Amino acid sequence: MAHEIIAATNAVVTLDVALPGIVWGWIITMNMWAKSIGTGIIFIAFYLLKKYPLETGFIRLPSVVISIVFIHLFLFFTVIDLHQMFRFWHIFFHPHMTSMITIGAWLATGFVGIILGMAYFLYMKKDVAMYDKLLGYGVVLAVPVTLYTAGLMAQSTARELWQMPTESIQMMLAAFLAGSATMLLLGGNKFSDTIKKDLALILGFSALTAFIMYMLELVFGPMKAEEVVATLEFVKGGEYTFMFWLGQIVAFLIPMALVCKSIKDKSYYLLKIAAVSALVGLWITKHVWLVIPQLLNMS
Amino acid sequence: MQLGFLVDLRLCMGCKGCEIACKVENEVPLSTWRLRVKYVDVGSFPETKRTFTPLRCNHCANAPCERICPVSALHYIENGIVNIDKDRCIGCAGCIMACPYGAIYIDPLTQTADKCTYCAHRVASAMMPSCVVACPVEANIFGDLDDPMSNISKYIQENQGNVQVRKPEKGTDPHHFYVGGGNVTLNPLASFRAEGHSLFNNLTHLPVGGHH
Repeated sequence: MAHEIIAATNAVVTLDVALPGIVWGWIITMNMWAKSIGTGIIFIAFYLLKKYPLETGFIRLPSVVISIVFIHLFLFFTVIDLHQMFRFWHIFFHPHMTSMITIGAWLATGFVGIILGMAYFLYMKKDVAMYDKLLGYGVVLAVPVTLYTAGLMAQSTARELWQMPTESIQMMLAAFLAGSATMLLLGGNKFSDTIKKDLALILGFSALTAFIMYMLELVFGPMKAEEVVATLEFVKGGEYTFMFWLGQIVAFLIPMALVCKSIKDKSYYLLKIAAVSALVGLWITKHVWLVIPQLLNMS
Repeated sequence: MQLGFLVDLRLCMGCKGCEIACKVENEVPLSTWRLRVKYVDVGSFPETKRTFTPLRCNHCANAPCERICPVSALHYIENGIVNIDKDRCIGCAGCIMACPYGAIYIDPLTQTADKCTYCAHRVASAMMPSCVVACPVEANIFGDLDDPMSNISKYIQENQGNVQVRKPEKGTDPHHFYVGGGNVTLNPLASFRAEGHSLFNNLTHLPVGGHH
């Protein structure tokens, strides 16, 4: 609609302030990417330990260590992105509970407590039963920790591209993708072919579903709002086109192709390449989707 | 009490008096604006005209910035103003992501969010916002929307059918109205914008010694 108005009126902005630029940049991309790995590895560890308890016992310690490292990376990038990072404690002492930032901070704190507890009971107390019990609670809490960023994007009223529940599904898929990819890299050849196939299928279906959703947003998103039309122009011939498609190919298409080949040939050596490709591509994909709505002039 | 703003775009002549008054009153740093006047040129030569649109915080009844702020730095005060507590703000920029009007920025000096407060400090002392005082043509009208006898309520009544808000589809319920506005003035997507090429910042100079 706006295009027609411009064509009809020849309206040109002749004096205004400069566009504010990208406010949430690569640091927030790192935040989302690290969180996907930190919670995703817990989802996948839970699945494997329930389905293959005898063969996957060795993943307990490395899984929780990876989760601790990446959740703390997520928290680190969250804090350093604040313009007043030393006031971070305000979230806990002056909380505003309508904000998904506040809710996310509280949930993530609870999740950190659980995974630290898991590490403590496993490493210090050698208490596997307690670890497994805490893992169950960890999975329950990992779901909202994964989803809260989607809630935050939904609360970002100005950015029409980020819709709920689309973003929540993308967040879950990102966690499954990153979790299965990390587990494939972690387990290596210690996993049986059956387990590798399971992980390959999780990776492949997560990639396929996420890819389909991005494509559907690309095609159907512009049919509802002119702001989405303008936003998606940045990836439809605009300055982020190359990066967008690079992300889609590296995150989703290459892993899908390698997963298919692995399953077809019953040979799983390609899965590590698929895993690395998925993790790298996920960062690129998330970054593009984070940045493009910020390029739009709001006023 | 529900304070609100109305700008009669038919009167505004783009003098930027309001912009400067706001800068001075609120010590708004260079490169940032709580209030600004946007110029949009319409038509093709010789049938052209220039429109002027003062843009500031809309002090929405359903303010996305207030909802997303994790520490209540952005909060309502009893007269309906969405105020900001800069000592509490953590600079997460969530409000910048949420505001559909691009009215919030990070103050480069304090590294906290900042925006128009309808000069809440002046209002508390029974004074008008500085932009209202500075406007030479009384295009800025400020008052209590709950009071049917206030200037703003009367103005809205007198101009029914010609009163608009920005982006009503966002459901933010703005308390900032425009009379005489249209797509070109109120919809940022309805005008072409070539960044870096505006009226006063793309000056060209004649070469030295060119004309003697």
